[in-house]
Amino acid sequence: MKIIRNPIVLIVFALCFGTSIFLSFSTPVAGGFRDTAMLMMLGVTSQTPVALTLEQKISDSASISTYRAKDRFDLERTLHVSNNFALQSGMTVVGECSFAPGDSSFTLINVQRVNPAMIFPLIQGLGELGRNILFHVPMSFIAFIAFLVGTFYSIIFLRKGNLKYDLHARAASSLGLMFTTLATVTGSIWARFSWGKFWDWDEPRETSILVLLLIYVAYFLLRSLLEDTEEKKARLAAVYNIIAFATVPFLMFVLPRITRSLHPGSGSEAPVINLSGKTHIDPSFSMFLWINVVCFAILFFILKDIYIRIETIRQQREPNYD
Amino acid sequence: MISPVLRKELRIELRSRYGTSAVVMFLLVTVVTIAFAAPGELIPPPLMSAFFWITVFFGTMTGLSRSFVSEEERGTALLLRLYAKPESVFWGKFIYNLLLSLSLAFTAVIIFAFFFEDFVVRDYAMFSLQLLLGIVGTAGIVTILSALVARASQKGALLPVLAMPVLFPLVIAVTDATTITMENASSWVAVRGDILVLFSFDVALILISYVLFNFIWRD
Repeated sequence: MKIIRNPIVLIVFALCFGTSIFLSFSTPVAGGFRDTAMLMMLGVTSQTPVALTLEQKISDSASISTYRAKDRFDLERTLHVSNNFALQSGMTVVGECSFAPGDSSFTLINVQRVNPAMIFPLIQGLGELGRNILFHVPMSFIAFIAFLVGTFYSIIFLRKGNLKYDLHARAASSLGLMFTTLATVTGSIWARFSWGKFWDWDEPRETSILVLLLIYVAYFLLRSLLEDTEEKKARLAAVYNIIAFATVPFLMFVLPRITRSLHPGSGSEAPVINLSGKTHIDPSFSMFLWINVVCFAILFFILKDIYIRIETIRQQREPNYD
Repeated sequence: MISPVLRKELRIELRSRYGTSAVVMFLLVTVVTIAFAAPGELIPPPLMSAFFWITVFFGTMTGLSRSFVSEEERGTALLLRLYAKPESVFWGKFIYNLLLSLSLAFTAVIIFAFFFEDFVVRDYAMFSLQLLLGIVGTAGIVTILSALVARASQKGALLPVLAMPVLFPLVIAVTDATTITMENASSWVAVRGDILVLFSFDVALILISYVLFNFIWRD
């Protein structure tokens, strides 16, 4: 725990976290030729950003050049590019294409970014909203880890009886509550823009995360209503914390799997993050996802440490504070 | 050592009939309220199953919440601590709670079948299994949490607040299973997932409660 109080470590972490958040927001989201073609077939008028590498110039006229271009999936197509864009072969371009059904060539109609350092994959139906995966998923992940850590300390407290461990459990559970709230809020805003409404009671994951919130609110309510010695209060709260955590696997993993839902990871489908390494998402994107998970995890441990230090000082200064 | 605790509970119950009379009244009032709220309406299976289980769950909380609170109030908890081992107190109270809530659920089935013609169960064996699994889990959680609540202030309101969210996985699974059983007769395959959830939830929570009871009970 000492290492996360070191100012140099904190500054390095802040820089990493800031960079990761900045890149999560600024990296362009782009698809391939197939995405454009599919949207055009479906009659969707808004264009999809596409990431292309201009391979070789085929023909060149005064206003339009024609290239062999390769998209992110190594799909080669003919591409017409206006010479106003001042592009050369070998460049990677993110822009919007238009495509006429029946025609095999695409036309680049605008350029958003040239030679980007990184490209996030376009997830059909999500588009730019797909970025939220980088925040929503780590938050839910860390919420689970926080409850796990809280329960771990509750068990240690019941075995050892040292009030220090109860403080750890309380800190971890309250941060778990915070991360669950964040996951709920980011999730419901996301649901509003991709499924149409903020809250849907048919969605088992939304229902179960609400129940998770209720359980841990009840945990803090119980703490405030117990009237006894500190040691006794801590013991009863620890018991409730362990019982509460016993329901977490059911709420987070079992029930969403056996009920049908729009959320990924329902039914027999594996969730986006899983330990078997079978991700359905692009490697560059999942790398970022894991970086954000690690950053949020470190943030959790820093916040937990701060919480414990504040509580320790408060107990020293106001011994009768409740 | 379990049976003396159980015998004591049963004897007190038979003497005062506090639990049973309160619970039967609660059931009647709830069912009449539902009937008044939807007079002559056709109640579809999902709603019927939800009504039934909400009645049973809150009825159980009303009936069972007193079991440890009354020990603390009458000052008999100390005696029970001296007299019996924590395990026997837990299992004795649990079996008593189980018996009380099973009879409650049975009464609820009779009252529902009497008052609502839409309360139709198409597979009795399946429904009995669901009833048993649902009640075992509820009785287990309510036993340990009522022991916990007996130590807090605001005892009356706290038990449902603590127990309902913990019971939620069980509520979802059992209402879903009952809906399926009310809709079609051969439902074993369709409710397999729910039954597995119910069974594992019951086993996990009761074992955890048993292990943790000592920490609540000892002074």
